Amino acid sequence: MRAIKGVLLVCDPAVKQILLVMNEKQSFIIDDLDDHHLVIKADEEYRVRRELEAELEKNTYSLD
Amino acid sequence: MSAKRAAEDSTYPAKRSRKNDDQDDYIEIDNEDNVIPPSPPDTSLVPRSATINFTALTRKLAEARRTNDKDISNLSSLEVHRRQQDALVSHIFNEQDFSWLHLKPDHTARPLWISPDDGHIILEAFSPIAEQAQDFLTAISEPVSRPAFIHEYKLTSYSLYAAVSVGLQTEDIIEVLNRLSKVPVPDSITSFIRERTLSYGKVKLVLKHNKYYVESTHPETLQLLLKDRVIREARLFSIQQDSSIKAATFTTSKAPVKGNLVIPGTKEAKKDDAPAGKQAGPTNDEIDEDDDNVHAFEIHDSKIDEVKRRCNELEYPMLEEYDFRNDTVNANLDIDLKPATVIRPYQETSLSKMFGNGRARSGIIVLPCGAGKTLVGITAACTIKKSCLVLCTSSVSVMQWKQQFMQWSNITDRQIAVFTADQKEKFAGDSGIVVSTYSMVANTHNRSHESKKMMEFLTSREWGFILLDEVHVVPAAMFRRVVTTIKAHSKLGLTATLVREDDKIADLNYMIGPKLYEANWMDLAAKGHIANVQCAEVWCPMTPEFYGQYLREQSRKRMLLYCMNPNKFQACQFLIKYHEDRGDKVIVFSDNVYALEAYARRLNKLYIHGGTGQVERMRILSHFQHSPKVNTIFLSKVGDTSIDLPEATCLIQISSHFGSRRQEAQRLGRILRAKRRNDEGFNAFFYSLVSKDTQEMYYSTKRQQFLIDQGYAFKVITHLDGLNEMPDLVYKTRDDQIELLQSVLLANDNEAELGSDIRASEGDLAGTVTSKDFGPTRFSAAHRTTGSLNALSGAQHMSYIEQNKSANKKLAREAAPRHKLFAKRDKDKATARKEARGQGS
Repeated sequence: MRAIKGVLLVCDPAVKQILLVMNEKQSFIIDDLDDHHLVIKADEEYRVRRELEAELEKNTYSLD
Repeated sequence: MSAKRAAEDSTYPAKRSRKNDDQDDYIEIDNEDNVIPPSPPDTSLVPRSATINFTALTRKLAEARRTNDKDISNLSSLEVHRRQQDALVSHIFNEQDFSWLHLKPDHTARPLWISPDDGHIILEAFSPIAEQAQDFLTAISEPVSRPAFIHEYKLTSYSLYAAVSVGLQTEDIIEVLNRLSKVPVPDSITSFIRERTLSYGKVKLVLKHNKYYVESTHPETLQLLLKDRVIREARLFSIQQDSSIKAATFTTSKAPVKGNLVIPGTKEAKKDDAPAGKQAGPTNDEIDEDDDNVHAFEIHDSKIDEVKRRCNELEYPMLEEYDFRNDTVNANLDIDLKPATVIRPYQETSLSKMFGNGRARSGIIVLPCGAGKTLVGITAACTIKKSCLVLCTSSVSVMQWKQQFMQWSNITDRQIAVFTADQKEKFAGDSGIVVSTYSMVANTHNRSHESKKMMEFLTSREWGFILLDEVHVVPAAMFRRVVTTIKAHSKLGLTATLVREDDKIADLNYMIGPKLYEANWMDLAAKGHIANVQCAEVWCPMTPEFYGQYLREQSRKRMLLYCMNPNKFQACQFLIKYHEDRGDKVIVFSDNVYALEAYARRLNKLYIHGGTGQVERMRILSHFQHSPKVNTIFLSKVGDTSIDLPEATCLIQISSHFGSRRQEAQRLGRILRAKRRNDEGFNAFFYSLVSKDTQEMYYSTKRQQFLIDQGYAFKVITHLDGLNEMPDLVYKTRDDQIELLQSVLLANDNEAELGSDIRASEGDLAGTVTSKDFGPTRFSAAHRTTGSLNALSGAQHMSYIEQNKSANKKLAREAAPRHKLFAKRDKDKATARKEARGQGS
């Protein structure tokens, strides 16, 4: 048994679904707790946040 | 703000240096009560011709002066602080930093600010004199955005041409602008206005004896135009003449003389002795009186719009006016509005812009859906009283136009003809009205003999007036064909939404003419001509299962998934219930037919889509209108325009055509003409249901832009109060939701398509309601499945019972079928008749 440093992520169900899909490409989820909580690898946190931000931005309309 | 500004920028040359103005820009105001002080004197010491573009330099000078000012030590600490802040902030705005424009001392009383760069005008709509300013601004510029407090207008060449043609003088425009503006009107703007207005009206395009001529009172101008290659090539030499003297090749004729004109249906027409033509503007007449002779050369029909565009580029815009009262060549049409018909004030205003100087000017009138565009068109036709061609987008609207003509005017059935794929008529007599579609007229191939003959009839004659309905949807190429094949003296375009997703609007400017009038939606709503509407966007979170699938699916299916989102279903059910209880009549719109049927069946409501038969359709509509039990109907794209439901007061949108601003406006138009709009405190409701975190959010925001520019505000509702307490809420349990998801996933890919229910009929335009996805029309292919013959013939004792019946089927049939006894007798009669005929031959 090896210990992995993890971060608890609190999110809404939709964001969790996005994270699950992202996880299929490159695994970073340690444990799927429930609809609102995930534990992910600590050293992946930054990358995940950035990719999530980009994903969410796709659905936003701006005037330019 | 528009992103398309760059092109405009270069057309605003700043010709003078501003440095002379700064000192004497300010004037003493003796009387504080005087809200609009006179404009400061125009002091320009540098001759206009001797200057170059100075904007950047001027700004540098202004900055330099400011740094000098800083050295002056007697400034208060506050002021020093403010200057430092200004300097810090200034670089953020780069080229857009206009802090060097000094505010007039009484700027708070003045409502305008003009951008020196691109001619955008910002108006404080809350200012006490905003209303006067608005009237003026609509005359000289085009509205860009008009929300409640701050309006944006834009000065363009076309808007200035229109201003001059209604009789405004160059110096007046500048002076009034200066009076209303918080800063002295920038020189770039004044010179732009001067340049555009001075050259206007020198050249005219006229139609005589079925030929186009470029006409001018100044032969020099014509010479100048002929030096241009495009125009020279378009010139047509009809008569061989001695070309040694160039001026002699111009045909010279006597200039027309103006009279007075009254638009029917207006107050003026009601008075017995109408005061001599209030509408007759003073400017254009001068040209006629100065010189009795006009010079002209003929140009090729097919090159009209090239020449027009070229003339605009050369800054000699061609005036297209039709002096219809003095036209003795074309037969008059005996048409008038019925005496009971009264037109509304804004319709009168829009028409007075068209007939501003006693002649018919070509252009576009923009009125909201449900504000009576048709009546404006008919009144215009009644004013001109010549043969008239009406073009619309589909055969359905052809019939509507004909019916409207019969309703509002005294035209007889014989004088109005219809030209569609099924009907080809000609009117009786010398003049009349023909109603047709764009594609019938623009079509160049595959014509039947009859249509060919009809086209010959259309092209062989001169039309006094051509009415173009829904101009914004017509593709440029088709338009060009229409404009060049049909010879019309004046053109009027009508539309509610002068927006296109592909920015082809600018083409309309030279193909038809400038925008003559654009109504302010908020104004009309305030005056009770259209209903007050509360708009809301309801955010429905996706359920985890649906969203998980959404992320994994391809684009087509995605759409189905966000339409069928159980939370949206629930929100829809809740809103319907809520508004039915309030006594509203509700329409639910869905572009997606699969979703439409699923919703309507589950919620047990009536629905209409393209596949619904005409009889069933009529029955459903009459139930919706008259029965107190039927308060909600579901409509697909068919309901966008062709169905008129003045009872509806609430509209819920569950699926829509991507980011189409036009569709959003059209749908809003369904409730603008609500019958109950004049009740005290009445509001109509417009909901868009949007699934959160999906593409729909993007489209929804984009769709709203047009309405926001008209001053509508969309409230965002993230949570519907009381939704969870609602009894018999659909898809409450996770099992139900997953079952729904499964059925959605099983659904055919084709089901995800939008508007697949409607087939375009021949003669309908792509891009209108009748066509799928606003693009080229397609038809669905045959559908094949495998199955055993035993099972299909019912040999396996299987029978099908539909548990979830459509509410449509439960409607009582209209009339009981004929009794068997009579049916039998009818049959006998028919056979007897057939036999008799057989013996006869």
